[in-house]
Amino acid sequence: MRVDLIRDVLDKQLVDRNDRKMGKVDGLVMQMREGEPPRIAFIEVSTITLARRLSMRLGKIVARLSAKLGGQRHAAPFRIAWSKLTLTGNDVTVGVDADETPTQDWQRWLKRNLIGRIPGA
Amino acid sequence: MKKILEIALGLVTSIGGFLEIGSLTTAAQAGAAFGFELLWAIALGTACIIFLVEMSGRFAAASHHTIPDALRERFGFDFFIIPLTSTLIVNFLVLGAEIGGVCLALQLLTGIGFRWWAIPVAFVVWLMIWLGTFGFIEKGASFLGLITLCFVVAAFMLHPSWSEVGKGFAPGLPAHDKANYWFIAVSILGASITPYLYFFYSSGAIEDKWDETYIPVNRIIAGSGMSFGGTIAVAVLIVAALVFPRMGVTQVDSIDKLSQILTPVFGRWGVTLFAASLGIACLGAALELSLTQAYLVAQGFGWNWGEDLEPKEDAGFALAYTLAAFISALLVVVGVDPLKLTVFSMALTAATLPLTVVPFLFLMNDERYVGEYRNGFLSNAVVLFIIGLAFVLAVVSIPLQIYGGS
Repeated sequence: MRVDLIRDVLDKQLVDRNDRKMGKVDGLVMQMREGEPPRIAFIEVSTITLARRLSMRLGKIVARLSAKLGGQRHAAPFRIAWSKLTLTGNDVTVGVDADETPTQDWQRWLKRNLIGRIPGA
Repeated sequence: MKKILEIALGLVTSIGGFLEIGSLTTAAQAGAAFGFELLWAIALGTACIIFLVEMSGRFAAASHHTIPDALRERFGFDFFIIPLTSTLIVNFLVLGAEIGGVCLALQLLTGIGFRWWAIPVAFVVWLMIWLGTFGFIEKGASFLGLITLCFVVAAFMLHPSWSEVGKGFAPGLPAHDKANYWFIAVSILGASITPYLYFFYSSGAIEDKWDETYIPVNRIIAGSGMSFGGTIAVAVLIVAALVFPRMGVTQVDSIDKLSQILTPVFGRWGVTLFAASLGIACLGAALELSLTQAYLVAQGFGWNWGEDLEPKEDAGFALAYTLAAFISALLVVVGVDPLKLTVFSMALTAATLPLTVVPFLFLMNDERYVGEYRNGFLSNAVVLFIIGLAFVLAVVSIPLQIYGGS
């Protein structure tokens, strides 16, 4: 199958195996291999990746901030192996549970400490 | 049958939701200062928003994408950040103006200064979104918004010379105050073509799960709804043109003057009716704007979103509309004059339109998104012409207004 990486993958909506939205494909990671053609190994889902796309300096600042707020788990962009991806028309589906990835940590924190405590939530 | 009901509801929504502090203030100022001369600006702005709203509904129905979602996907994050930031900033100011509008209405009704109302109003806006569903927000606010039809009644009761009114629809050069004329023209265009309208509309189409079968319905709703809505703005201008010069008012720069607009027609009920129209219209717009801010961010970054979800299902989305309402209310708390904020933010809207509309036109011509439902030549040409005109007028007249000291 022919896939146009920038057109068909980058910046597309990501949904997990339970059909929950879990961010966008923020970056693509290529792996260079000795004697073999390079291949796309991972996608990245992270604010750090987004910041790097704008400027490397901003990327460093966001990475530092992210590690400070979220600990080691958030010091580097979260990666998902290419093999877990299915391209499904409008979205990119990944065979993981969003709640088990760091991508939903801040939403979970928000739910537990703020939004979930307000009556009517 | 369901579709007919849908059309009726859609019409009510767009009529009741059309007027807000932007179109109300700019139309009143135009009427007071220039009589019927600026009616063409309302007609042009309304024509443009009809096309844009129709497109955003068609886009959502055909592609199952919202606009922010598709803008990022199609142009990449590095570009998307520009229309995203500019729209968030403009919406922040416009939302401040709408919240200010509700506060001014409450000031008229209670005598308590508008600044005191800002946080309570933001709280009510937040609470309605927090507890309500999308249908409740969209339909409830718009049904109440039908009270703004009192301006149409007033326009007829004042018996304007309809041939004079007709002449106003032909653009002309002003006899006096050129800088102010063009600035008000720009503000009217900005007030009619507010981007939050079509962002909100496209999110609504996705929330209501539209598919291709809705495209004809969408055309009727956008076309007639927005035309009727524009008629209310035209009525405000007509009433202002007939009422204010007789009072010796040519500059509607304070709420005390503006609130007298209906008095000659409705007597002592005039101020109450004006306050109720202003309050309800602005409350409806504030609800839509707060949600639009959250839609923009959530759809741009791929979070879970939806007004029909429980807040705990989409915590980030809930945080976004909460922050949107309260941060914009701060503008009113610190004492920014809501009327000045309105006119300024409408002109700024006009100046930033190309940033969102031009990329959106690319999407509307991209078969990968809209397939056979892509734009025809006419839609592209009309929208490009009007936003181009609004942009040029804005770039020329905003500096004139700021430095011209009029």
